[in-house]
Amino acid sequence: MLRVGENLNVMVKKIGTAMKDRDPKPIQELALAEAKVGVDFIDINLGPARKGGGELMEWIVKVVQEVVDTPLYLDTINTEAIEAGLKVYKNKKGKAVINSIMARPESMDAKFPIAQKHNAGIVALLWGPSGLPRDADERGVLAAELMQKCLEFGIPGEDVWMDPIVTPVTSPQSQVQVPSCIEFMKMFKDLQEVLPGMRSTCGLSNVSNGAPEHLRPILNQTYMMMLERYGMASAIVDAFDEDLKKFASGGREDLRKLVFRVMDGEEVDLKKLSKEQADYAKTTRVLIAKTLYSDSWLEL
Amino acid sequence: MAFEIPKVTYTGKIREVTLGKGPKAVTVGGETSYPFHLFEGAMPHPPRIAMEVYDTPPEEWPEAALEPFKDVAKDPVAWAKKCVQSYGAELIALQLVSTDPNGLNRSSDEAAQTAKKVASAVDVPVIVWGSGNADKDADVLRKVAETCDGMNLVIGPVVEGNYKQVGAGAIAYKHTAIASTPIDINLAKQLNILLGNLGVPDGQIIVDPTTGGLGYGIEYTYSVMERDRMAALTQQDERLQFPILCNMAKEIWKTKEAKTKTEDAPTLGDAKKRGILLEAVTAVVLLLAGADVLVMRHPEAIKLVREMIADFTAK
Repeated sequence: MLRVGENLNVMVKKIGTAMKDRDPKPIQELALAEAKVGVDFIDINLGPARKGGGELMEWIVKVVQEVVDTPLYLDTINTEAIEAGLKVYKNKKGKAVINSIMARPESMDAKFPIAQKHNAGIVALLWGPSGLPRDADERGVLAAELMQKCLEFGIPGEDVWMDPIVTPVTSPQSQVQVPSCIEFMKMFKDLQEVLPGMRSTCGLSNVSNGAPEHLRPILNQTYMMMLERYGMASAIVDAFDEDLKKFASGGREDLRKLVFRVMDGEEVDLKKLSKEQADYAKTTRVLIAKTLYSDSWLEL
Repeated sequence: MAFEIPKVTYTGKIREVTLGKGPKAVTVGGETSYPFHLFEGAMPHPPRIAMEVYDTPPEEWPEAALEPFKDVAKDPVAWAKKCVQSYGAELIALQLVSTDPNGLNRSSDEAAQTAKKVASAVDVPVIVWGSGNADKDADVLRKVAETCDGMNLVIGPVVEGNYKQVGAGAIAYKHTAIASTPIDINLAKQLNILLGNLGVPDGQIIVDPTTGGLGYGIEYTYSVMERDRMAALTQQDERLQFPILCNMAKEIWKTKEAKTKTEDAPTLGDAKKRGILLEAVTAVVLLLAGADVLVMRHPEAIKLVREMIADFTAK
């Protein structure tokens, strides 16, 4: 699974300050560090960037590309900032990717022409006119709309990264949302027939948002394996999470098999498993909504 | 081929919890199907209604709610007795509102004495409900537990912020703890786990999902309770297999719809009838969602709901 480093984010205090002060050093250091640990893309998240976003994105794209060749995700809802970034972006080892275009008329109308004009990739986010889709089928409807636009604007499949939206397992809707994201991925192969080469991406760590900090990794890792099983191609993740990197590069085949067995409904005997295996089995059960989430899910 | 009604297959059972002691103790829970799905499973104990008693004369109650209790409003003991003797209350719910630090701020000792007097004066089980201020309740309910040692009270709300103190009191002095969470199924489960880890026996836990009144978000409570019963009965979720208690009366009678006088809103109909029906309908909604104990106020609303329970559980 490809990794998109999420660390270059305005919300990170040091980075936010550097962006504000136009201080290239912390930004370049972080970009270099992300490249060193081998992320496939670097996400540059400016947040809303309402004021002066264009000028900021232009500056930051230049600054980052001075030190790394890794392709960039340009992440802001400010359309002007996206375009300013694309204007100065140099394709060294891949196209820049607009993160993201939502399945809402105003988002599609503003950003598809820019993607076409600058030959950029896009994250097609399944967020519709009425917000978060309620289930896998509504995700499918939004996906169809976005794909239709891709065809209209001639965005080739290989430049499209569909994001089915990962939601926190701790939220009240999790019982439907977390499994329905997986359900959507099951139909992804069919969608790829319409737009060959299309891939997928996701904000993986959102699944563990709200869970106790020390328990977030196992949720992230397990959900990653579950999504990847049905073709999830990439995830926006902490670039420096070495454990997650192991899972992303196909490691831990033993756990992967176990997770799949639980996904397929097998009642695995927890007593016959090691503590580590049992933890992954329990986590899978929570993520397929067989067990209701609680902060102590591993202790039960 | 004869038509067969599709039936839900259940794999779990709600625990039976006995409230109070002696001949008037009541057992709740024990369901093996969704509420009143008697064609699919058993509901060995019908839902019960606790009648409210306040530890200080209510000031903002609408006339209709106060009227039956006017003669006893200043004396919680007389009030409790009246509920049992005149209205056949199966449980009493003593609301210790006067302990609220933002209100009268009465001491824990005083509250504990009131609780003891009320519980001694009636032979039915007594629920003792704090002010809802987690810090103050930690002290008040702990003191109530200690002072009423062995009286098998039902004490709450026990929340994440005070479960250790109140839970310890429940364990040491053998009371039932009301595990209370803010309309959130995951937090409800977590608090039950925490109480279990603390050592509160499963037979001494009852769950309060927090409820709104009719028209004030009751659908959220309904969903949480529905999900709770699904997990408990069809997913063998042991930490949710507890009976449910809804402290609902105060939510209804504080609403604009229950308080507005007949002459101020003639189109809304008679104020008394309106309040009673709001309370009764809220109660029925909560029963259908899975409530085992309802805390109610107006005798006529209670009468309506009792009839409804009898109809729903008729063999």
